[in-house]
Amino acid sequence: MIDNADLQLARRKTRDRSVALLVLGIVLLMPPMVRIAQIDTTVFGLPFALVYLFAAWGLLVIGAALLARPLRDSEKPIASATSDDTTG
Amino acid sequence: MLSANILLFVCLGYVALLFAVAFVVDWRTRRKPIRWLQSSVIYTLSISIYCTSWTFYGAVGSAARNGLEFITIYLGPTLVFIGWWWLLRKLVRIGRAHRITSIADLISSRYGKSPSLAVLVTTIAVIAITPYIALQLQSVTNSYQVIVGNNDGTTTAFWIAAGMALFTILFGTRNLDANERHHGVVAAIALEAIVKLLALIAVGVFATFIVADGLDDVFAGISAETIQGAGDIFGPRWIALTFLSATAIICLPRQFQVTVVENIEERHVATASWLFPLYMLGMTVFIVPIALVGQSVMPSGSNPDLYVLTLPLAENRNELAMLAFLGGFSSATSMVIVAAIAASTMVSNHIVMPVALRLLPAKAVSGDVRNLLLTSRRFSIAAILGLGFLYFYLSGGSDALAAIGLIAFVGVAQFLPSLIGGIFWRSATRAGAIAGLVVGFALWAYTLFLPSFDGHFILSAGVINQGPFGISLLRPEALFGLDHFDPLVHAVVWSVGMNALCFVVFSALTTPDGLERLQGALFVDVYKSSGGSASNISAEVADTEDLFVLAQRILGGVPAKKLFDEMAASQGIKTGLPHPTDAVVARLERELAGSIGAASAHAMVTRIAGGQTVSITELIDIADETQQVLETSRQLEEKSAELERTAQQLRVVNDRLRTLDAQKDEFLSQVSHELRTPMTSIRSFSEILMEEHTITDDDRARFVHIIHDESLRLTRLLDEILDINRLEAGVSKLDLTQLDANAAVKKALETIAGMTRSAGVTVRTELATDELWIRANNDRLRQVMINVLSNAVKYNLADKPEILVRTALVDGFVQIDIIDNGGGVPPEVSTSIFDKFARGIRTGRNHGAGLGLPISLAIMRAMNGNLTIEVTAENTTFFRLSFEHALIRHRAPAPAQGTA
Repeated sequence: MIDNADLQLARRKTRDRSVALLVLGIVLLMPPMVRIAQIDTTVFGLPFALVYLFAAWGLLVIGAALLARPLRDSEKPIASATSDDTTG
Repeated sequence: MLSANILLFVCLGYVALLFAVAFVVDWRTRRKPIRWLQSSVIYTLSISIYCTSWTFYGAVGSAARNGLEFITIYLGPTLVFIGWWWLLRKLVRIGRAHRITSIADLISSRYGKSPSLAVLVTTIAVIAITPYIALQLQSVTNSYQVIVGNNDGTTTAFWIAAGMALFTILFGTRNLDANERHHGVVAAIALEAIVKLLALIAVGVFATFIVADGLDDVFAGISAETIQGAGDIFGPRWIALTFLSATAIICLPRQFQVTVVENIEERHVATASWLFPLYMLGMTVFIVPIALVGQSVMPSGSNPDLYVLTLPLAENRNELAMLAFLGGFSSATSMVIVAAIAASTMVSNHIVMPVALRLLPAKAVSGDVRNLLLTSRRFSIAAILGLGFLYFYLSGGSDALAAIGLIAFVGVAQFLPSLIGGIFWRSATRAGAIAGLVVGFALWAYTLFLPSFDGHFILSAGVINQGPFGISLLRPEALFGLDHFDPLVHAVVWSVGMNALCFVVFSALTTPDGLERLQGALFVDVYKSSGGSASNISAEVADTEDLFVLAQRILGGVPAKKLFDEMAASQGIKTGLPHPTDAVVARLERELAGSIGAASAHAMVTRIAGGQTVSITELIDIADETQQVLETSRQLEEKSAELERTAQQLRVVNDRLRTLDAQKDEFLSQVSHELRTPMTSIRSFSEILMEEHTITDDDRARFVHIIHDESLRLTRLLDEILDINRLEAGVSKLDLTQLDANAAVKKALETIAGMTRSAGVTVRTELATDELWIRANNDRLRQVMINVLSNAVKYNLADKPEILVRTALVDGFVQIDIIDNGGGVPPEVSTSIFDKFARGIRTGRNHGAGLGLPISLAIMRAMNGNLTIEVTAENTTFFRLSFEHALIRHRAPAPAQGTA
């Protein structure tokens, strides 16, 4: 049985994580950070810049997929959320 | 080479399939929605109209020319979608709560339902997307030409435009949905989204693994420079493009349409937040390989924009080329259809309808607004596609169109400050929004849009290169000497920057009027309010209908109907609503004032009657709110009155409780007193017996006898107390039967005959001749009569004691009077004589009779009768037992039952 206060805290954490994901995306994909992709090297025979961008992109997709459900559920009323919130 | 006939056949077949899907879904949805078609996956697929033929063909071209830069077009939307919780969710919530029909509607609603703002946004949107539509026509035409060889591109483009217009009109304007949702169209574009994804991946796999020998082969010998593009790829242009694409996914009218307007359930956005970025990832993952393979395989000079199509053709893979063509066709058509729907909604709602309502005579409009709206929407769709075709025709299908996508992005990016400011910043005003939009639009046109024509339209080549009138400081692509930027970045910085600046400054300088303030609060705090209430009235419906809805909400359905019927009748209209004349408005205002107060009524009615200043939904919200307040205060008043009543009742009950408490105390003290007397004698005689050993046997026997007598008295007293308690509490119910009062009297007299004889009392009877039927308990009745009779015997101090018992039927009541000549009870104690242990009784000879009369009374009451003390004409008193006369029922004696 999750306490209401704990649930509220968990929800706040979920939202904090969604901000963190957004900031991470901006930092990874915007200069100056993205310039590390300019190293002239290859990964598994692929140019590093290509791998870096798609990897960062994929990472963001995974992060968003993990957060989508908790975020969506975080709007449910507390009372009912305790009963059917499967993702915590 | 594929033949034109086969291509046409496949194309028409595909289009027929789309028609069928749209038709079936539309038809089914109206009867019973298909669940999986309302799913988040379909929602996500419909958002993928973001990937137009510009992505399908153009991204490869862009990758071939500029390396990885094309990715920015998808990174911006990715960032917006992974941050959906903070922006998209709010937009969708607002869109649903306020029944927003387009981005123009959103912005104008936010700033006090400003018509001028709606027109401004609509105009900018149409100007920005017309070239974009032309670009789609061009790409389909080009791909068609590539497959079937050169033919008349203009004719092809015309028929494509006509076909799209037909489809859009058929499924985009079938009916007026209050929510502006088009389920059939959404299903069709979702199908197209799958086709284009599969087609692009198929071509990518083909290029990578069949034409080339796997990824290693594709990238062998490719320098980082080729991949990253020339120059500083991660510079200002990278940021500007990401910003633009992030803006476009929100501000493009078609994206707004699918993301916000067509949204069925808010939770779908959560799924789209990762699924749509994943879709774009899928769309782009093979772009670079296709571009590289194309560059190495295709002859130099071939258009990299068409590698997706030409690569399979060059390898003689006709089926794959056909699939690629359908993919490009899908991306183009889905974009054009939705863009046309979105634009036509704006044009008809914000430009055509206001003008039509003003120009056409009121009569022609009032009855048939919906038809007018549909017609105007159909014409708008045709006109927008016509414009797109015209643009394509005039620009001659030049390669310059390739840049059009980004130009459109910058154009719609002008909505961003007003949009974001509008939903997050309460102080944003209409003046700020208009100033920002006008300045941003002008700068966009001057620095980007007009120069894109290369001097063929309005701005001459001279002006573009040297500045107007030779003033180099005003050169469109290097305004005020800012020439070290790429033209696109330059335009973004100037137009969006100045737009935002003007928006903020003018908002800060001006004060919003009441309506702007209200709408601003509703939009910014959309999560706090319950949202717009359900009203199926479009904002465009005539005034009277709005007034009627308002009146219904405030006055209630029936009174409002009555009022409007009356007003219509006074205007000579037999059915339907009255014309909104001044008299009608004034009367309605008066009626409403009764419910919501004069000031509010005036504000509301004049706002509706005076023009579209605030949406009717909002007014109804205000009305509902007022109603709720009224209702709450009324309930409060009722509650306090009820509380007052309850308090009063409590006081009364409390007083009674106090009295009862006092009586109980009195009773207890009496009881203990009564019990104390026999107890005392029992104790004292017992003590004598225990301690005195000299007493005679006679005395001993006498004392034991006294103790025995006193014990009997004590027991009787306790029995009586228990009995009266049971009777009074209604615990012991008496079985009532039908019996004759005369017979009962006779039996009672027989019982006490010994007592009367020994006391020398003469008993006379005067019994009624008829039988007197009553409902009573035989034993208990006898107990009462014996009690009263024995009292009459005991307390009779007359020389010749005499008792008269008479029975009579008086006014439906059977009376048994017991009269003695002992002087009766003193009148002053005649009421208290029935109290337990009343003093009147105790003054008598026998101290033990204290409960006889109260028990008798309790018994009589339990038998629905009464025992009273009556006063005779000679001022003496006697006892009367009275019963209701029971109807004679010889055959069926009443069944035993309770006190009924």
